[in-house]
Amino acid sequence: MTRSPSISSLLASATALGLLLPVAASAEWSYRGDISLQLQAFTDSAQHSATQSANSSFSGNAEFNRAIGENGDITISPFFRVDQHDDQRTHVDLRELLYRHSFETLEISAGLGKVFWGVAESSNIVDIINQRDAVEGLDAENKLGQPMVNLLLLPDWGEINLYVLPGFRERTFAGKDGRPRAPFVIDTDNAEYEDSSKASHVDFAARINGATNEWDWGISAFSGTGREPLIGVPSLRPFYPQISQFGFDVQGTFDSWLLKLESIYQSGKTIDNHSRFVTGYEYSFYGIADSAIDLGIVHEFLYDDRQQRSGNAFQNDMLLGLRFAFNDEQSTDALVGVIKDLDGGATILTAEANRRIGESFKLTFEAIVWADANNDLILNSFQQEDYVLLELGYFF
Amino acid sequence: MKLLTPAVAAVVLAFTATTPIHAQTPEELGLEIVTKANAQDDGFGDSTSSMIMTLVNRSGKKNVRRIRSRVLEVANDGDKSMTIFDEPNDVKGTASLTYSHATEADEQWLYLPALKRVKRISSKNKTGAFMGSEFAFEDIGSQEVEKYTYKHLGEDEIDGVPVHVIESVPAYKYSGYTRLVGYMDKEKLVNVKVEYFDRKNALLKVLTMSGYQQYKDKFWRADKLEMVNKQTGKSTTLEFSDYQFGTGLADKDFSSNALKKIR
Repeated sequence: MTRSPSISSLLASATALGLLLPVAASAEWSYRGDISLQLQAFTDSAQHSATQSANSSFSGNAEFNRAIGENGDITISPFFRVDQHDDQRTHVDLRELLYRHSFETLEISAGLGKVFWGVAESSNIVDIINQRDAVEGLDAENKLGQPMVNLLLLPDWGEINLYVLPGFRERTFAGKDGRPRAPFVIDTDNAEYEDSSKASHVDFAARINGATNEWDWGISAFSGTGREPLIGVPSLRPFYPQISQFGFDVQGTFDSWLLKLESIYQSGKTIDNHSRFVTGYEYSFYGIADSAIDLGIVHEFLYDDRQQRSGNAFQNDMLLGLRFAFNDEQSTDALVGVIKDLDGGATILTAEANRRIGESFKLTFEAIVWADANNDLILNSFQQEDYVLLELGYFF
Repeated sequence: MKLLTPAVAAVVLAFTATTPIHAQTPEELGLEIVTKANAQDDGFGDSTSSMIMTLVNRSGKKNVRRIRSRVLEVANDGDKSMTIFDEPNDVKGTASLTYSHATEADEQWLYLPALKRVKRISSKNKTGAFMGSEFAFEDIGSQEVEKYTYKHLGEDEIDGVPVHVIESVPAYKYSGYTRLVGYMDKEKLVNVKVEYFDRKNALLKVLTMSGYQQYKDKFWRADKLEMVNKQTGKSTTLEFSDYQFGTGLADKDFSSNALKKIR
């Protein structure tokens, strides 16, 4: 499967969106989604060929769901973005096209699915089922639909999920006219694989999770094509290794404290076997200074024992975030954060704010500044890519 | 305790049946009435309902939210409940799951549909506004007898309805209130009005409950709740509809997997 949209997937998405919107008006379908206009402004001139200082794009996200018979249901989630400059960011995807059949203590799903694993806020290193749609944003929140057959067992104490993953999705990257990006352009059309079956390698994954009064925990395993590519030098071709990954995540909840840990061990023939962890806490002050405003502190450490060889920007880093929830009628919230490299001293500053406008619109503001990235190999390449983003979404 | 012989037991029973041991204190009377009122609701099993929440600010501007809820009765503990947000549209599909407990901290999870993420959240925030409304989380949570200490202040009439006036002092140390004063219909044993006093013991909010209907010949539910903030002039109205009891919900419908499947 190639990353750029094929005619068939484009048609499938357009058909899904076009047909489902009127169909959804009937009572059998439930639906939710948004149509959003996004504006980005870059404050520095680029170190590369994309010279625009502003960019606009238009996107749509929807999720349609309906019951089929007594115990079945189907979810269809098309996505598209049209970008003014970047042909790689102009893309469509079916985030979900999943049929699920539920029995008393067992469920079987098949199709394209989206799965979340983990507890942390800065980075969910255990979360491996879906490939990141990295061209959509720097956080890992946007994911490509993953072909899967999922068996879910529901014992009294938690969940056991088994996955067969036939087919791999390559990570998306900004194209030559896209920003923000590194000074070089990843050659996404010529990805390389360790395994000869390339993107049609069948991967396997499993996760067991449960909860007690205070602890929510999960253990997971994965075997197959690694989702994080190694970038070849000087070819700039992404290389996808075969890996095994074991993961553990846990959250303890004590009054206003949330204590979090995610940890993985990854091994493979073509990667350095290594461990990583993300750990930290979230603490909330409710109704600060006799106002309705809640303040949450998010403080996490990220560590990769390969250190500078890791190709991972967060090999020994700290995130400190302050999250304000104003609890007003318009659900205003704001998040400011700093990510600090504890080895090199590179610093990233981020800000985000959201506010509902009227009943159905939402305005989002984002800013990211790569400050003092000089000593960091990876972050340095983004130093001229500071930007602010404004997005207006209509929600239905 | 030593076992009483039948003869002694008969004497004791006769004595207690005819002679008041001592006058009941206002605290004992308060607890007795609230326990009785609460017991009326025992055996509801499970219920579902829909709700329209209207927020009105000082200048009269309105904001509307639509919410569905599902509740499962848990014997000898707090209920399990699920709250599903339908409007405003940007939070559509978001849902929360709460295992409330009489004395321990509640357990609470939030489902974020865009991320497919179930997140365990702190349940300590009792004083915060529920969806920006005049209802705090502690006003809408499962009401267990053990969560307060009580005192019967007297009797009164509200709109011609005779009521018990009962003061409740929260046992929870992080509560936003020093005390609540409830006006309970003497016949139906349901509150028709509650006054909330803030941490400085000043009147903060007044809740009026109206349109009580009886379901399954037993369970009383109000159709309309109106909370007026006396300090800010803002108010929030909750209008309930589609109350159903005994819909067959079970423990498995209140799991994190069920939360993910909410539509």
